[in-house]
Amino acid sequence: MTQNEFRTSRRRLLTIAVAATAAFTSGALTACSPPGSDGANAGSSSPTTVSTEIGSVPISLTLYDGAGLKAIDDALIAAFRKKHPNVTITARFDPDNVQSVNAPRVLSSDSPPDIARIGALGETVKSGLLTDLTPWASAYQWEKLPAGQLAQYKSTPDGVRGAGAQYTVASGFTVTGFYYNKELLSRLGLSQAPKTPEEFETALEKAKAANLTGIIAGNQNGQVATSFQFALNRTVGQDKLNSWIFGQPGASIATPDATSAAKTISEWAAKGYINRDTNGTQASDAMGRFARGEALFFASGNWDSAALQKQMGENVGFALPPAADGKAVAMSDPSSNFGIPAKSKNKDAAAAFLNFLTSPEARQIAVDNGFAPSGSGEQPTGNGALSTQVQKAFADLVLADGQVQYIQNASNGANAAWTAQIQLLVDGRTTPEDMLKTVQTQYEQDLGK
Amino acid sequence: MTTLRSTAPTTSRRTVAPKKKSFLHRWSGWLFVLPALLFYGVFVLKPLVTAVEYSFYDWNGITVATFVGFENYVRVLTDPQLLASIGHAFFLIIFFTVLPVSGGLLMAALLRELRSKGMGTFARTALFLPQIIPGAAAAIAWVWMFSASGTANQMLSAIGLDGLTRAWLGDFTWSLPAVGVIGTWINLGFCTILLLSGTGKIDASIYEAARLDGAGFVRTLLSVTLPGLKQEIGVCVTVTVISALASFDIIFMSTQGGPGYSTMVPGVQVYQLGFTQSQVGLASALALILTALILIVVLPLQRLFRSED
Repeated sequence: MTQNEFRTSRRRLLTIAVAATAAFTSGALTACSPPGSDGANAGSSSPTTVSTEIGSVPISLTLYDGAGLKAIDDALIAAFRKKHPNVTITARFDPDNVQSVNAPRVLSSDSPPDIARIGALGETVKSGLLTDLTPWASAYQWEKLPAGQLAQYKSTPDGVRGAGAQYTVASGFTVTGFYYNKELLSRLGLSQAPKTPEEFETALEKAKAANLTGIIAGNQNGQVATSFQFALNRTVGQDKLNSWIFGQPGASIATPDATSAAKTISEWAAKGYINRDTNGTQASDAMGRFARGEALFFASGNWDSAALQKQMGENVGFALPPAADGKAVAMSDPSSNFGIPAKSKNKDAAAAFLNFLTSPEARQIAVDNGFAPSGSGEQPTGNGALSTQVQKAFADLVLADGQVQYIQNASNGANAAWTAQIQLLVDGRTTPEDMLKTVQTQYEQDLGK
Repeated sequence: MTTLRSTAPTTSRRTVAPKKKSFLHRWSGWLFVLPALLFYGVFVLKPLVTAVEYSFYDWNGITVATFVGFENYVRVLTDPQLLASIGHAFFLIIFFTVLPVSGGLLMAALLRELRSKGMGTFARTALFLPQIIPGAAAAIAWVWMFSASGTANQMLSAIGLDGLTRAWLGDFTWSLPAVGVIGTWINLGFCTILLLSGTGKIDASIYEAARLDGAGFVRTLLSVTLPGLKQEIGVCVTVTVISALASFDIIFMSTQGGPGYSTMVPGVQVYQLGFTQSQVGLASALALILTALILIVVLPLQRLFRSED
């Protein structure tokens, strides 16, 4: 081909490319309503007539949860089907962290699940993606559930949690506390697990003197935050802390009370009560090393009990975090906080499933799967000594109404902010004051205050 | 290129055939391109344009967005934490590009010498192995090696350097270089193989002449291999610089940006902002700035390494 022709065809190619780009650009920009205006809020979110009867016509529901909860969900679904043979529930799972990332988009899709685990309850309610459960709550008398649990199901329309209408019911609960190595405890001359902050600190001092790691934590995943929040629960107090986590107006974590808790942790780190390589240790490794007898305490929760029981046998115990005035307070939130998406078409049947979660059968299933049971009533039997101890701790906690949410769940960016800031704190690269200020800034930005 | 060539026959026909026919003929080529163009438009151009649109909004991904103009861009360019993440990406170029390309060059020259001695295939395979392992999987393996009781520390202890052992990925000073080493390990094989295949195209007689002139290994490397591999080095540098600036998988799987913010890179930051913090607009702005930066770095490189002919 000649030079000239080559040039022409090049020019034409360019013209077409430009035209194509322009077409796509204008396609995207001329439809120039802002993103998200295509009806995420469709679907009625507060129905007028509801029924607790689900009849005998075949109904099929879908449930959406994190993959780590497959065992408990499958057992719950099977037990529910025994009661209501006409209801088929198909479960769909994503890896746990992927589920929480995907949930908002799955809920706003055209074919949402009928029952879904809700991570950020306030945000989800604010986006209009959930069904207001008030009518069912009165039909099923959910208001009789323990107050500490009920608070975790509620949100106001503008996303402040802990108050307002009910949107969820939990399939079970997590419970936190500290595992202790019995043999090391007696080697230090301590007859039982510490019950008060003073006793706890004495145990750490003794461990240090005996050249033992007091607390082992995988802070690469921000696990020191567990010990930090144990202190925070005490210094700030359950109600104030919950109101911060629930996003109530004017709540702040940058307070002198919170600072004193952060100081305790930074001192523990400086004194070597926490394993020195904590920032380079993953949570799973920390548990493994605790099981091998490397440390006196491991601050964690029910999710580690099965593995620790298996590896340590009789040598391990579990206790609620040390309490100052004898009132049990610990982090404990829903394993799956199940809500009904606003666009679901089978809300009555889905609500019947939520109600089933607090029944004795479902409570036993939760315990069998290593979680604490939803609702209240006779405590189901645990399997194994450690599991029984964990369940006992949870029962005490519910009795004292001392459930607190995790500080990492305060806002979308809170988890990343706490993890990074706690890593800086234990390495002495930030001060308690600065840490709390940074987290507060992130929190306010997330909540759009 | 196919399109251009397909117009070639018209050159001879043009003198006889009426212009209309040749016009149709020319356009028929585009029919063949259409499917690819469609995919390109839907999967490349559309998302790009959408990202540009999002970057001007404050949007949580669900509810109606608010237009904020250039605010997201201003934030990216003024927030010290976001700027630091961009700085980290540039630091990683040392480990993702400089070390693998210079190491790969040396390896390629050595392997060329080895080729006749039968060890070449084994060495090539061993070196290329890291390249076929997904970055995410490699990162997990390296997390174990960098742990307090991992291989890295065992080796240091074995030679009496106990004082240097540490949890590498948990150390504020050393975590970024440690993550960089994973990148070096992955990119070295790629560079070696690419450069080795390039040496095959250098005329063997030039090597022979060099040897007759009494040139040793180093002289041959600098005077024959290096100039002969200009284009291949260009490709290596381009690909590895992009892998450094746009790095995600290695860091996401090994440190998630920690401890603190010491290994945070734009790739991971975009993910965190967009998916866990629901700040789709800010995430889009950071991603677009990252894209622009990569272009600014890579385009001059292309020019630099373009061959004269």
